[in-house]
Amino acid sequence: MSVLDIKNIHIDFPTSKGVVHAVTDVTLSVEKGRRIGFIGESGSGKTTTALAAMRMLANPGFVASGEVHLNSLEGDTNVLHLDEEGMRRVRLRKISYIPQGAMNSLNPVMRIESQIWDAVVAHEGAMEQSALLERSNTALDGVGLDPKVVGRLYPHELSGGMKQRVCIAIGTCLTPDLIIADEPTSALDVITQRHVMQTLREMQEKIGAGLILIGHDMGLMAQSVDDIAVLKKGVLVEFGPVRRIIEGAEHPYTRELISSVPLVGGESFLHAQAAPPKGEKLDVPLLELDGVGKQYGAVTALHPMSFALDGEEPKIISIVGQSGSGKSTMGSLMLGFNDPTTGSVNFKGDDINKMNAAERLEFRKQVQAVFQDPYACFNPFYRVNHALKFPFENFGMQGDVDAAMHEACEAVGLDPSLVLGRYPHQLSGGQRQRLIVARALMLSPKLLIADEPVSMVDASLRATILANIHDLKDKHGISIIYITHDLATAYHVSDYVMVLYHGHVVEAGPPKDVIGDPQHAYTRLLIDSIPWPDLDRDWGDAGDARAALDALAQIGGTPETVYRGDIPGFTLRQG
Amino acid sequence: MARYLANRVFTLFLTVFIAATLIWIIPRLSPVNPVDAMLGRMASGGGTIENSGALLDQLTERFGFNDPLIVQYWLYIKNTLTFDFGLSTASFPTPVAQMIATALPWTLGLMLLALILTFIIGNLLGALMVWEHTPRPWKVVIPAAMVFTSMPPILSGLLLMYVFSSTLGWFPLTGAYGIRVEPGWSLDFIGSVAHHGILPAMSIVLVTFGFWALGMRGLMITVQGEDYTVLAKAKGLRKRYILYKYMIRNAILPQITAFALKIGMLVAGQVLVERIFAYPGMGKLLYDAILTQDYPVIQGVSFVIILMTALAVFFVDLLYPLIDPRIRLGA
Repeated sequence: MSVLDIKNIHIDFPTSKGVVHAVTDVTLSVEKGRRIGFIGESGSGKTTTALAAMRMLANPGFVASGEVHLNSLEGDTNVLHLDEEGMRRVRLRKISYIPQGAMNSLNPVMRIESQIWDAVVAHEGAMEQSALLERSNTALDGVGLDPKVVGRLYPHELSGGMKQRVCIAIGTCLTPDLIIADEPTSALDVITQRHVMQTLREMQEKIGAGLILIGHDMGLMAQSVDDIAVLKKGVLVEFGPVRRIIEGAEHPYTRELISSVPLVGGESFLHAQAAPPKGEKLDVPLLELDGVGKQYGAVTALHPMSFALDGEEPKIISIVGQSGSGKSTMGSLMLGFNDPTTGSVNFKGDDINKMNAAERLEFRKQVQAVFQDPYACFNPFYRVNHALKFPFENFGMQGDVDAAMHEACEAVGLDPSLVLGRYPHQLSGGQRQRLIVARALMLSPKLLIADEPVSMVDASLRATILANIHDLKDKHGISIIYITHDLATAYHVSDYVMVLYHGHVVEAGPPKDVIGDPQHAYTRLLIDSIPWPDLDRDWGDAGDARAALDALAQIGGTPETVYRGDIPGFTLRQG
Repeated sequence: MARYLANRVFTLFLTVFIAATLIWIIPRLSPVNPVDAMLGRMASGGGTIENSGALLDQLTERFGFNDPLIVQYWLYIKNTLTFDFGLSTASFPTPVAQMIATALPWTLGLMLLALILTFIIGNLLGALMVWEHTPRPWKVVIPAAMVFTSMPPILSGLLLMYVFSSTLGWFPLTGAYGIRVEPGWSLDFIGSVAHHGILPAMSIVLVTFGFWALGMRGLMITVQGEDYTVLAKAKGLRKRYILYKYMIRNAILPQITAFALKIGMLVAGQVLVERIFAYPGMGKLLYDAILTQDYPVIQGVSFVIILMTALAVFFVDLLYPLIDPRIRLGA
């Protein structure tokens, strides 16, 4: 029996440049207890289609034609015919929504339990305090959170994974017919992602609701849903059982989505290159961390460690770990944004924290950075060409700035005539992130520090951008420190991998060994948590995810680094 | 908690101390010697003054200008901290503290009323400019009403006087209370004060609510796009509940800081508003003091303004952790 039937729905967004047809003639049904994945790139209409069922389209979108039937409604089942009050009563009670931004989806000034209570009261009317408390306890208990502790907390006191589990608790507390989960794990690291996803599945099975999972990660879809609906530019291009889609996709776009997921041990997405150009030969390492550790008050973000990277042979060194592992701290130490508590960071033999202004300027020029959020990296008031030109001139680079800009844009696969005259907000996230890479490239740096450079762009674009970054090494001889939580991409791009856990390097070596055949329990857990687009690979259930987290908590003290082999020009040690 | 409190109290005293020092230094940079100015005033009143040299020396000695600067400063700080601002030069020998004490309650009453009214009205209208369920006519009227923001309060005052006082005769033209009423804690007096206060208060509200409304509008737009507002709607909460508990509740937080800063400033009064309504408050006091170069009064009023600002900020700092759980004491 179907819970929701979407029939020939068309959704339009009137804009100043004419009407945008966001969704065109989509028809599909969600069965009770079944999970459907809506997959597609940003702008494919996947979220818009799902939100139409809740009548929560972003302004100025509207349903131009079509029907949305919620079959548990009495009488007229078309939700588009409901009045405002009727629609309000449907939300959460019949169709619930689990939002994307785990970080910000709870009211920051209300306690967790109050945010469950207000939902219950809005649909079932006022009730005794004890009855409300019972409801919130049951809801939090169901998602594995301790109601006595978590209920009294405020959102900022919870981790991202816990917040998202609270959202699942809210979304299931009134046992709706249908749950719409909009990329519920996109901001979480793999280990937390698996735990949250398994919790969602467990709760959905328990209440027997249908589930629409919106996402762009084919691997996550393969491990989580029964059916897949592929959307492209507002059109449903393919629909079918997950195994049929993964193993025998008919539409080329679907095949593209599947093949764009980088796999550990899979085919490389990088551009093949002849021997990379050599960097300059130095007597001292290009970058050296000498006994570097960092403490924030009583918290140790990074335990003392040392490495030396020689710049002659350009290399990509990956630093992997989940949130809070200390990998971003390491990045900011290397960039000199933070002083180390112990030890020193040396660039070409000079301590970067003791440089004078002129040396520091030279250091800044030679060491460039690419950050996670491409949306926050441009000053919105300037056109792209100004943003590219400014550092070039500021660092006193010689040569024709326009030619350099064109060259850099082409190097990252962008058409200079298309992007240079535009403002940042007119570009997509992927384009912006490539421009950041282009901006760095224009300065001919010796070292690039890339902190999660692709985690905020669409899965289908990640491979291309990483290929661009990889080209910096092969074509321009730039060494790269790649900081990420994505082991599959680290496997492909890097020459050496360090796995960080609680500020310790727990395993290190060439990627084929460390990621291809992990030895340390933590590395194994990271790899097991990756959702593979392979149905025969077991992702485990909620119990497994919890057991794994418990096992993780057992890793304490000072774990010894498991060294898995060396590469020339790079040395690493603890202390 | 204790550390946070100690920290705040220390900041409070430091601010007041630095400000008091600046108030002492700045007038001393002025080329005008207050003794000369005083003599000048006497001369313009009574023609020539005999023994003016001796008088000058006597006054200079009397004012303590012969003492070393550090002694003068020490005396000043000691006096200021005990609210002894000396004697007015214009209304010699009335103590400045007494003049302020007379004027302050009027201004505090009027301005606090006006500020609270404008804060509530402005923020509510600002929120309604953004809320998706605001009735359409409101969305037209509110931005149009912003016209008043560009009007100086003296004009809004005259406008209100014309409409509600001269034409309709609902409210008295000027003064703080009726001439036939005896000041005291009687119903008659309080009623009369309220009756006289409404027009000046409204003339301030009219020109200042736009400041709050526009600020609130920007904050509401941000909050409206937040995921928690979207989730609130998806939870099927009632629209007014979302407006108050999710949107305004979060958007108002920075406005409360602005409110604290305004409390300090309001002591200075709306100088011209008090002037045209002949309202006996701090604004009028300051206005007269500036006209007559009455430095002790200017200094005293400045100090009270700073003290009020610092106190208001201090109390908001203490209040903030209660209204925003993300700000934890000591964190």
